[in-house]
Amino acid sequence: MLEVRAKRKLPGFTLDVAFSVNQEILAILGPSGSGKTMTLQCISGLVRPDEGYVNLNGKVLLDTAKGINLPARQRKVGFVFQNYALFPHLTVSQNIGYGIRHLAAKEIKDRVAELLEKMNIQRLGDRYPRQLSAGQQQRVAVARALAPEPEVLLLDEPFSALDSLVKERLQLELQTLHRFYRGNMLFVTHDLTEGYKFSSKIAVFESGRIVQHDDKEKVITSPSNHTVARLVGFKNLMEGSIIEIQGATTLIEVPELGGHLRAMIPKNLSLTTNQRVTIGIRPEYVRLSERPGENTFLSTVDRMSEGVASTNCFFHVNTVGVTRHYIMVILSQLDSCVIKEGQSNYLYLPPEHVVVITN
Amino acid sequence: MTETYLAPLWISLKTVIVATAITFFLGIAAARWMAHYSGKLKGLIDGLFILPLVLPPTVVGLGLLLIFGKNGPIGEFLALFNTTIVFSWPATVISAVTMSFPLMYMTARGAFEQVDTHVEDAARTLGASEWRVFWSVTLPLAWPGVAAATALSLARCLGEFGATLMLAGNIPGRTATIPVAIYFSIQAGDMNEALILVGIVLVIAFGALAAIAYWKGKAYKARAMMVNRESVE
Repeated sequence: MLEVRAKRKLPGFTLDVAFSVNQEILAILGPSGSGKTMTLQCISGLVRPDEGYVNLNGKVLLDTAKGINLPARQRKVGFVFQNYALFPHLTVSQNIGYGIRHLAAKEIKDRVAELLEKMNIQRLGDRYPRQLSAGQQQRVAVARALAPEPEVLLLDEPFSALDSLVKERLQLELQTLHRFYRGNMLFVTHDLTEGYKFSSKIAVFESGRIVQHDDKEKVITSPSNHTVARLVGFKNLMEGSIIEIQGATTLIEVPELGGHLRAMIPKNLSLTTNQRVTIGIRPEYVRLSERPGENTFLSTVDRMSEGVASTNCFFHVNTVGVTRHYIMVILSQLDSCVIKEGQSNYLYLPPEHVVVITN
Repeated sequence: MTETYLAPLWISLKTVIVATAITFFLGIAAARWMAHYSGKLKGLIDGLFILPLVLPPTVVGLGLLLIFGKNGPIGEFLALFNTTIVFSWPATVISAVTMSFPLMYMTARGAFEQVDTHVEDAARTLGASEWRVFWSVTLPLAWPGVAAATALSLARCLGEFGATLMLAGNIPGRTATIPVAIYFSIQAGDMNEALILVGIVLVIAFGALAAIAYWKGKAYKARAMMVNRESVE
């Protein structure tokens, strides 16, 4: 169990966060400059918040009210830095052994060998960091952080320096990390897919505050506000107001669509008529349709940009006047070959995938 | 006859070795402290540390005389133990340390500030004390810069003249270092003696340069080997 409260004021930026982690993997998701890394530094003792409290498995690491502030070396917090920060003048084995110098020589040797094997870098023990690829360096950094058996492992943007192929393999491997590391894990990322793959919970940061901290599925399906929605992939966000509520669904007037839209009402959300809301839908959930109907809008293809496995299409709704609001749609290669730029098509926004956000 | 040359040589060697060693540790300590210090007095302290480099050596010598002289604060204190610094061998060391300190301090500080703070932080999260972080991470990573700083300081100690003359004077066999002895040989019109002393200084200087080059070359070679042992995979 890790409990964190931290406040830190800097010119033009204020960090004010509070959260706890209980034997799980938490992804800290947010744009750069939202205070993610600073939060990790507060936990590890590299930065002292103006006000704060950190409790790790019952041990108080920081309590500014009581004047407690353990130095980083006494906190038993493993830290994997964004640039890995390996010791360039030490070999891989020496790097991994750095934090366990208090053990007997034999034990150090065994522990290093064990970690080299677990991280699948057995043959690299005598190399120097500069001789390793980015992926290998990352494994060394993780092994080095794990060697002293920390009670929590913090990873700062662990995959940002890797190319996509290596990234995917390493992500898969690190997902198995918890098999031999049973502590808490926090990792910082600005990439939703990464955060989702890796964690059980996600905390979304925005300019120094936590705007949502939930199970990852919850964050993905019902973002708490506009920013979270944008961060977690709701590319299509529109303003609207509630017209009527019918059981589990609601009808919303959306000027940007030039019509009404039906949506499912999320559990625990009470809506009133005339309430202003934001509605969102992921581009991969918008479908092409052949005929008019509810939640269906005649739209024109404005631009198409072809990717490897899918095509991003930008539509604008025909009936809407001068200002064009684009609806982004991701279509599979099969679907996209039936449409052309400038052509009109019906777009269907399935009610079960339309998300209603109230604030 | 050889006394004329051996005495200044011996005094200079002693002074250079002792003074460089003292400057090495003092300069590193000050550099390490100032690299992390961010208080209000930073500019002032920094200026004070570099001052001897900017002032004429005679002015520094006069300052030292005022501090270590009979009526100076340290001079009075030492008088209690019947010791005087002025015109004694330790004065040559004090002068050399004062004059070489700014070079050691500035260069070493630059080297420390170049070290990636994340690497030092990594050591801290791995349980290392500040002392261990410094000796096992900061210093090895700043080593090329620190070595250059040491070489500069050594050169400054060897060439020190003005402040030494003010504080230590020219007592043959006791405080006359080679530069001082050269000056007084010329004054006395003994050109040959001066030239032989110049020859000695040249040998020492080239010897020191060669030693440093060899030492650095070894470090580079070690690095090159690290790089060349490329991965077989």
